[in-house]
Parts: sequence; C-alpha cells; structure tokens
Amino acid sequence: KWRDMNPLEWREFIHHEVCVTACDEQRFEGSVFTVDPVSASVVLVTFQETDRASVRVILGHAVKEVRILRSGSEETERRMKRLIVPDTTPSLCPEELQSRRENLRLWLERNRFPVTEDGQDLRVASVLTISAPYRPEDCSCTNEIILARVQSLVQNKQYAPTITDDIT
Amino acid sequence: MSLKPPVGVQRLPRGPDPNSRGFDRSSPRFIALCPTSIPSSASTGPGIEEEQRVRSELRERFLRTLLMMTDKPVQFNMYEKVQVPARFGASDIDILNFQVSDLETPLGVQKEALLWCQDVISCSFEL
Repeated sequence: KWRDMNPLEWREFIHHEVCVTACDEQRFEGSVFTVDPVSASVVLVTFQETDRASVRVILGHAVKEVRILRSGSEETERRMKRLIVPDTTPSLCPEELQSRRENLRLWLERNRFPVTEDGQDLRVASVLTISAPYRPEDCSCTNEIILARVQSLVQNKQYAPTITDDIT
Repeated sequence: MSLKPPVGVQRLPRGPDPNSRGFDRSSPRFIALCPTSIPSSASTGPGIEEEQRVRSELRERFLRTLLMMTDKPVQFNMYEKVQVPARFGASDIDILNFQVSDLETPLGVQKEALLWCQDVISCSFEL
C-alpha cells in the first residue's frame, strides 16, 4: 500500500515526525526528509542538540506502515532545508561574481564551447547552465557526458591563471 | 571505521549461466524487481506536471541523501536482526544494489561487497 502511493501523497509526510513500522515489526521514529519515488524508501532525520543529525533510510520494500505522530516544526523544516544546500561558501559581491562569470565564459570559449549569458547564468552550448558562484557543482545539464566534460573544465579553471585581455 | 584486516574473498563455485545471478540485468530476479515504467495517477493535464515536479523534488532529496551517505560509516540493518557496519560507496539507479567497502560480517571484514537492497531493511548514519 505504501509503495502504491503517488508522489503527491508521499509529499504530505515531508517534515512531519512519523513512526515507520518495518516488515519485521521494528519501529523507527524521526522527521521525514523525503520518500524516494523510485523505491518508496523513507528517509528519516533526527536532529540532535548540537549541529549533528542521525539519518535512517528505510527501504521501500520493508515499509509496512507510516504514521504521523506530530506536525513538523518550522525549526525542523529549516534545518532540513539546510541539508539540501550544505555548502556555506562565502557569498561573493556582485563585482566578484561578474568577474568570475566573465573569466569562466572566456575560458569555456577558449576550450571551444559556445557560451551565452542568460541573466546571472552562463548557458553553454544551449544545453548546460552554470549559475553563481560558477563552481563545478553549479553546473546543470540533462546530458551527463557534456556535464562531466564541462564540470572538469570548470574544475581546472579554478587552478588556471586568470585570463587577462592581452592573451586574446 | 575499524582497522581489522580484511578476509580473503571466498569464491564459491560459479552457478549456471548467466553469471552474477541476481545482479545480472537479464536475470528473472532483476526483471521482477526492476520497474520498467512509473505509473502516474493523472493521465493528462496540469495534474501530471505537478506530480512530475513533486516526483523530481522527492528524488532530488533522496539522491542528496545518498550523496551524504557516500564514504561514511553506515550501519546496515538486515533481516534476522543482522546488523553489519560498512562504508557506503554507491547505489544503482533503481536502488536495488548498494556498493560498500569494509563490510564487517561474522566471517570477517569483506574489503568490497555488493548488497542486495531487498536484503536490507534500513541503514543509518550520522551527519
């Protein structure tokens, strides 16, 4: 029954404190971080006093019942959202971002990738997007081969000397 | 993670072809477990877009969970109250197999192993 639910139904559980009964009658409690739509696996998070957290993944095939115990608090929701964006890179000012973007654009063009600017983002070969602050993990693309190639270029860019005007 | 020396890999006699049994994508077991299509409740219209958006959001969170788990010591809670610690490596796309390292079993430490997710009830780790 759990596995037959649709994503909208699973989404109803997110952030709430639940008790999951597994097929061997074990019970697990925690706040729902997500339910995998492919395997129906439930991810429970229990936040500790300090910044630590315990995470438990209960495989979908082993889930017998999921019961909501308490509504999720805003604090829980906030801490969970931070799990999704764990990188606390120091925020760059607009000029630095602009210069990084420009340098990266030139670097990609020198490596024979057509690049256009799309607001704050760089659009590479019309299929890949790089958003601020233009690190390898800021690349997104549906083609994994192009993604890997561009990511390694962006990675190398960080160690290459800054491109100045007189090189071109 | 413990520093126990790994045991040598015991190779059992090979079974009938195809090799690798349930891990083989053409085996009846794999075909039975691996869904070839995803059902959706809404057949057409705006409902399906919302469902797809939520599906992506849920899946992204799950993939990030797997990323958080990578290279960390994880406790695998299997059937018959068997608990085995190991270092998590990777999962396949259908969440049918987990690749782990330094799996501590009653027989000793297996340097590298593949776990069938069907044998795993849950796994836990610390952040």
